[in-house]
Amino acid sequence: MSSIQIRNVTKRFGDFTAVDDLTLEIEEGEFAALLGPSGCGKTTTMNMIAGIEDVTEGSILFDEQELSGTRIQDRNIGFVFQNYAIFTHLSVYKNLSYGLEVKKVAQGEIERRVKAMADRMSISHRLDQPAASLSVNEMQKLAIGRSAIVEPRIFLLDEPLSNLDAGFRAYMRAELKVLQHEFGQTMIYVTHDQIEAMSLADKIAIIDEGKLMQYGTPLDIYNSPDNRFVAHFIGSPRMNLIDGELSQEKDQLKLRANDGAEIKLQGQVKSDFASDGKVQRGSFGIRPQDIYFGKQRSDSDMKMDGTVEVLERVGPKRLAYLQVSETRFIAFDDQDQLKVGDTVPFYLPSAKSMAFDLTSGRRLGGAAK
Amino acid sequence: MSDKSANTPTKDGYWAKVAQDGNKMGFWFVLPTVLLLLFIVVFPLFMQLYLSVTWWTPLEGIPWYMAWEVFSWGENYWYQLTDPRMWGALWRTVLIMIVAVPAQFFLGMALAYLFLEQFPGRKMFYSIMLTPMMIVPAVVGLMFYLLFQGTGPVNAHLGLPSNFSWLTDVHRAMISVIIADIWQWTPLMFLILLAGMLGVPSDQLLAARLLGGSNWQNFLKIIIPRMKTVIIIALVLRAVECFKIFDLVYIMTKGGPGVQTETISIFLYKLTFAELEWAYVAAIGLTILFVLSVVAAKGLSYMAKKDT
Repeated sequence: MSSIQIRNVTKRFGDFTAVDDLTLEIEEGEFAALLGPSGCGKTTTMNMIAGIEDVTEGSILFDEQELSGTRIQDRNIGFVFQNYAIFTHLSVYKNLSYGLEVKKVAQGEIERRVKAMADRMSISHRLDQPAASLSVNEMQKLAIGRSAIVEPRIFLLDEPLSNLDAGFRAYMRAELKVLQHEFGQTMIYVTHDQIEAMSLADKIAIIDEGKLMQYGTPLDIYNSPDNRFVAHFIGSPRMNLIDGELSQEKDQLKLRANDGAEIKLQGQVKSDFASDGKVQRGSFGIRPQDIYFGKQRSDSDMKMDGTVEVLERVGPKRLAYLQVSETRFIAFDDQDQLKVGDTVPFYLPSAKSMAFDLTSGRRLGGAAK
Repeated sequence: MSDKSANTPTKDGYWAKVAQDGNKMGFWFVLPTVLLLLFIVVFPLFMQLYLSVTWWTPLEGIPWYMAWEVFSWGENYWYQLTDPRMWGALWRTVLIMIVAVPAQFFLGMALAYLFLEQFPGRKMFYSIMLTPMMIVPAVVGLMFYLLFQGTGPVNAHLGLPSNFSWLTDVHRAMISVIIADIWQWTPLMFLILLAGMLGVPSDQLLAARLLGGSNWQNFLKIIIPRMKTVIIIALVLRAVECFKIFDLVYIMTKGGPGVQTETISIFLYKLTFAELEWAYVAAIGLTILFVLSVVAAKGLSYMAKKDT
């Protein structure tokens, strides 16, 4: 078990910068997720930790020890590949024992540990069979078991659940959490699936175009995104982000959306937008579940009138697509009383609204840290 | 097709049936090729079998199809078993095989492993590496004939006197031939083995390294087992090819000195054109064909078993 320090790491492939000045600290025993859209540099980061890719600039350390120059086979890293990379020409037993055999562990010890691991992963009935005959779900377990058996310093998982069927994925998600707890292992988990990251990780690093957007606990990231990208990326359904021009008329600060709607800013979000006097173009954010209908709950909540365009059932709830001029707001129809075509008033609670600078994407105001 | 036959009056002739039946039509389409193959493969084989059980030679004074007049039963087959020159030629062929093929295999394997990694100039070296096998064997023979002359470059570079002979020395003649064969055919081995090695999934190799396996351990436990089929193909191919070695030897030593480098092919050539023992040649040729077929079939069936 080790802690990992990633310091100002940059990775370039020719002219293309895959990872740009990334700094990240992962504590011993922590489960960290690298989350981002495809091609954001998360897998490259993982490969650099494993030693599969060289670091162009900066350094990666385990327990404050510089890693560059340490060969892949000497890093003692557990790595679970997206497609598992099971040795299909060997038996399940030989797959599990590989990491121990190459380290010349005594035969009796190997046998004991393989049996224990096979039991733990509930594949002991398959030990003598060729690994190629396993189902995808069993391969997944074998891949994790094969890496865990050598008791690596850290565990890297590259989208390990993406090939599984939905039911087993949910099961494996819970299982991974249990395993991580049992092994007390430092784990880094690469995924583009926010639900996996939110449910598994102690901390999430959100990466976009090779840059670290935010690093924090799942709730932290959800509740107080540092910038517009994180606000947009995390949450399902996605946050409403209304982009537009800020204008001051007498006392009233307004955000005029590019596609028509006009929000008369009030309360906290108003002072957030006003906190940086130079910002001209802003982005107003509000999560769908924070929009409400009916009676105004606070004086600072902003009233809008919208036409119900579409109602979409999502589980027990309904999503309402509200059209204000050409601007669309998505809200949960919490009263279950809306009809398509109705024009209804709805409220944007100021305390839960977020202000972003549209040009730089950064969060504005006191709520931003 | 069924529409047509419903509208036009049905003909009962054989060809009308052929037109309806894909299998029959196929038979007529491939028939010319089959006949041609019979003529160029099967006919000579039977001709050889026929001659091998006679005493016939071109000097016999009778055409070959009349060879039954000098029928010998299995005498030729019996004689070859007790012919020391035949056994000598066979042994020398096998010697070339058991020295050259493993040497080509290990060199080819090592080179293929080198070429698994990217390095500057890889493409250029790759092309250069493959050149020897593109050269006509007779030309390779000539090249090595010149190289191994007493006053040639080999002696000059090794600092040996010009009376230090390679091609006319009892032992060194064979060594020279084997060196030439290794030089020419290592590239083929390299090419086949590299193709096999590239087929080993790179992520499994990476997984093995991440598990702490050294390059050598991973080579033995991951790469080699996965290449088993390709290795057998390469070895069988080269072993069988070795039996056909001729051009190199003929140009470098003509089988000499004496019979010191006389391989099966050289031996058969001399028997055919110098000694005109055609019936005997036919018998030996058939025996070798039979033995090699058995060896190749064994190898291939072993491979098929490993595959499933």
